[in-house]
Amino acid sequence: MNRTLFDRPPGTELAQSDLQCQLPGSDITRVRRRLTMLGLAFAIGFTALSARVIHLSKPDLGSGMAAEAATVAVAPELPAKWRTRSAITDRDGQLLAVDLPTHALSIETRKVRRPDRLAWRLAEALGDTTPARVLERLEKAKGALWLRWRLTPDQVAAVMRVGDPSISLVPTVTRSYPNGRLTAHVVGFMDSERQGRAGLERGVEDRLLDPSNPPVASSINLGVQHAVRAELARAVETFSAIGGAALVMDVTNGEILSMVSLPDFDANLRESLREDAFFNRATYGRYEMGSTFKTFTAAMALEAGKRLSDSYDATDPIRFGRFRIRDHHAKKREMTVAEIFKFSSNIGAAKMAVDVGTENQRKFLGSLGLLERAAIEIPELVAPQLPYRWGELETMTIGFGHGLSVSPLHLATAIGAMVNGGNLIEPTLLKRSLDNPATLRRVISEKTSDSIRKLLRLVVADGTGRSAAAQGYVVGGKTGTAEKAIEKGYARKRLITSFVGVFPMQAPRYVVLAMLDEPQGTKQTYNYMTAGWNAAPTVGRIIRRVAPLLGVAPVDELDPEILRALALPPSADPLAKKARGGRDATL
Amino acid sequence: MTMGYRDDGPDLRFGRKLLSLNWGLVLLIAMTASVGFAMLYSAAGGDVQPWAIRQIIRFGGGAFLMLVIALIDIRFWMRWAYLIYAVALVLLLAVEFVGTTGMGATRWVSLGFFNLQPSEVMKIALVLALARYFHGLSLEDTGRITYLLPPLALIGMPTLLVLKQPDLGTALLLAAGGSIVLFLAGVRLWKFALALGAALAAMPIAWSQLHEYQKGRIMTFLNPESDPLGAGYHIMQSKIALGSGGISGKGFLEGTQSHLNFLPEMRTDFIFTMLAEEFGMVGGLALMGLYILILIYAYAIGFRSRHQFGRLVAVGIATTFFLYIFINIGMVTGILPVVGVPLPLISYGGTAMLTLLIGFGLILSVSIHRDVEIPRSRG
Repeated sequence: MNRTLFDRPPGTELAQSDLQCQLPGSDITRVRRRLTMLGLAFAIGFTALSARVIHLSKPDLGSGMAAEAATVAVAPELPAKWRTRSAITDRDGQLLAVDLPTHALSIETRKVRRPDRLAWRLAEALGDTTPARVLERLEKAKGALWLRWRLTPDQVAAVMRVGDPSISLVPTVTRSYPNGRLTAHVVGFMDSERQGRAGLERGVEDRLLDPSNPPVASSINLGVQHAVRAELARAVETFSAIGGAALVMDVTNGEILSMVSLPDFDANLRESLREDAFFNRATYGRYEMGSTFKTFTAAMALEAGKRLSDSYDATDPIRFGRFRIRDHHAKKREMTVAEIFKFSSNIGAAKMAVDVGTENQRKFLGSLGLLERAAIEIPELVAPQLPYRWGELETMTIGFGHGLSVSPLHLATAIGAMVNGGNLIEPTLLKRSLDNPATLRRVISEKTSDSIRKLLRLVVADGTGRSAAAQGYVVGGKTGTAEKAIEKGYARKRLITSFVGVFPMQAPRYVVLAMLDEPQGTKQTYNYMTAGWNAAPTVGRIIRRVAPLLGVAPVDELDPEILRALALPPSADPLAKKARGGRDATL
Repeated sequence: MTMGYRDDGPDLRFGRKLLSLNWGLVLLIAMTASVGFAMLYSAAGGDVQPWAIRQIIRFGGGAFLMLVIALIDIRFWMRWAYLIYAVALVLLLAVEFVGTTGMGATRWVSLGFFNLQPSEVMKIALVLALARYFHGLSLEDTGRITYLLPPLALIGMPTLLVLKQPDLGTALLLAAGGSIVLFLAGVRLWKFALALGAALAAMPIAWSQLHEYQKGRIMTFLNPESDPLGAGYHIMQSKIALGSGGISGKGFLEGTQSHLNFLPEMRTDFIFTMLAEEFGMVGGLALMGLYILILIYAYAIGFRSRHQFGRLVAVGIATTFFLYIFINIGMVTGILPVVGVPLPLISYGGTAMLTLLIGFGLILSVSIHRDVEIPRSRG
């Protein structure tokens, strides 16, 4: 055995300490046995890994044989998945994704007599390649060569005229996305095996593959989608943002009428897709939303019995350990709940949140679905990022929208519940029907919802969101600006700005959310980068374009009845007149 | 110390030590690391900037440290084993403290010039401490339950702290690595079975103690398919890339799946996939061959050691090394869930590289000092 390992070479004397150093016989046996067992375990582990690596890198014999078989028959059948996939439409039946018949071009290389001549004629027929390239592939291929998967009708006719016996034209289908980029993240795309990989193509794949099913109608309104994408793209370009997201949602039934994430992609051009364009900022991005969260803090306080005219002391910044909570446009005085909302006071919101308490805050935000993954019919859904520890400090920061990251979809859904009379409605990307009914859950009282409407209207009528106004459509909403979290703390110049708007405020029907990722200041905004300067006007522009498409008629905003319906009690906003000074775009 | 009874006995001189260094193992380590440099060169599209060059510098520094550690007498490491363990534990506690004041989970301690990940240090420190403990124990003592409590505490404390960070993957690695040392030391198999049974029985109780979001994290860990565009996406792309490499690969710098950014983590956790795409099955198996050779060397060094401490240190560290390889390759080939475990000596990253080289330094030290005598009794 391993004599030399433990045994002394002959001729050396054993000292007393040496004997101590030696292991007793049973020790050695057991230790050796253990070492052998462990070695065996290593060997088994490596064998398993090797087997797996070999298995994965084996060439796929199955598909090669199928291709070979395909050329034997005159018009080979393709697997069912290549033939039956339902179309996806918008809510009015306009096609968003549809299968089109086409032909694949296959060459049986054994039947080719003169490869150079065939290559030359095929290249001429296809019109988009050179004889040399075709020849190279012909010479490399063994058995059947699938030269092309998708031919245009012109190419099919030209290849027919080549008339070589080695050519087979196999009927097949191709997935076409008539609206290209416009519905990129809604519809998604498939891989080369026709498996859905993103968007509805993956999310509702079961329904798409059911042969008896009619086209799947999404909740998207193509006209609205067009307007929203155009305005968001314009904002991203104007403010040199790295991306953006926008949503339009019907607050009465949860239908998403428009969902845009930029940058986007054209699924027709799969070869040119870049991964960063797949990222759906509207549902898969999660961001600290900033002051828009004050809406929830206010609602929570009102639910707990506070009144709009109750006041909090916002004179001094709050100190908490090494943190300081400040106001960006500090008023340095007592502020009412309404004023805190109007001037977007962090101090006030933090105090309000602490007043309600950590446990109530967690319960309330949880009831709005802000602490769990959203549920719509696409796979790109993100779970919110909760604070590691949810104590008093976190209660304060979450009170003004920091420390809890959610997706824009989360925010739009929860804001819908704030204004529609107090019911949280599950959002959906499919058209509501008897098969897809809306589910309601009461989260706040009608009275609170009514107050929130007034507060949101106040922000646009007389607060930080004035640039979101769209004359005649009675817009309400809230701005939100958040610095991006980086490794240590926050990046001051890298912002997420958002505006969540609602219209028409006297009878809320639609939530319009726009979010810009790292917008820059411009000359027109006097180099300000906050939401009031970029996200809010974008929502205003969107509403001006989509309201007519959605059949919302403009009204006289000064109609006494509307003014009365949205007016705050005078005690809630005592300095209303004085506040109409400079235009301050704060958090 | 007593006088040496052989030329390569206890009082080795520096020159002789350098000669008796196991240069074969050093060469194997350098070769494996070079495979990593080549892959990082390829990941940057054929450029030493920005990754390969930094990795080379780190390896250079780490290799120097490895040699210094190798030349230091193994008894020195044994003497300081408990202290090293204590320092690592304090650092882990410090992380816990900092993690409470800051928001979100943090696993790092900033030492000003260098960011240290104490859980990495602990992987080595735990093996050292356990090896020292069992070195002083006869097999009879090992059989007694009371003598088993201290090592269980040695394993348990860091594991729980890391679990709390929370970093389930590293916690499991620590527990597994520590248990293997216990196994090697000769603890009876039925005790392992008992411990496993108790752990399984305690699971539902522990589960009910967790917060909702902690449960969520664990569920994602166990079922990455629930996150199709996150971890699940990586695995899908990883398998495609592996398959597209075929037998002999697409050639150096020619891997399309990885170069077109289908694999976001290609230079860290998923670097094996890139290797298999560019050098195919042959390349993947060759790298595993290198790993196996390193393991055989470390194993033989453990076998050759005349003292229990050296045996346990060498084989204990080799086991940790093996677990890394197995979990990483198992993960990228889709037989294990996705946990952030790097491919040893290859993946881009400083702390893991440094920890490994320190570990190999200890193995080399065991090799040089395999014949020194260390009394088994305590004190």
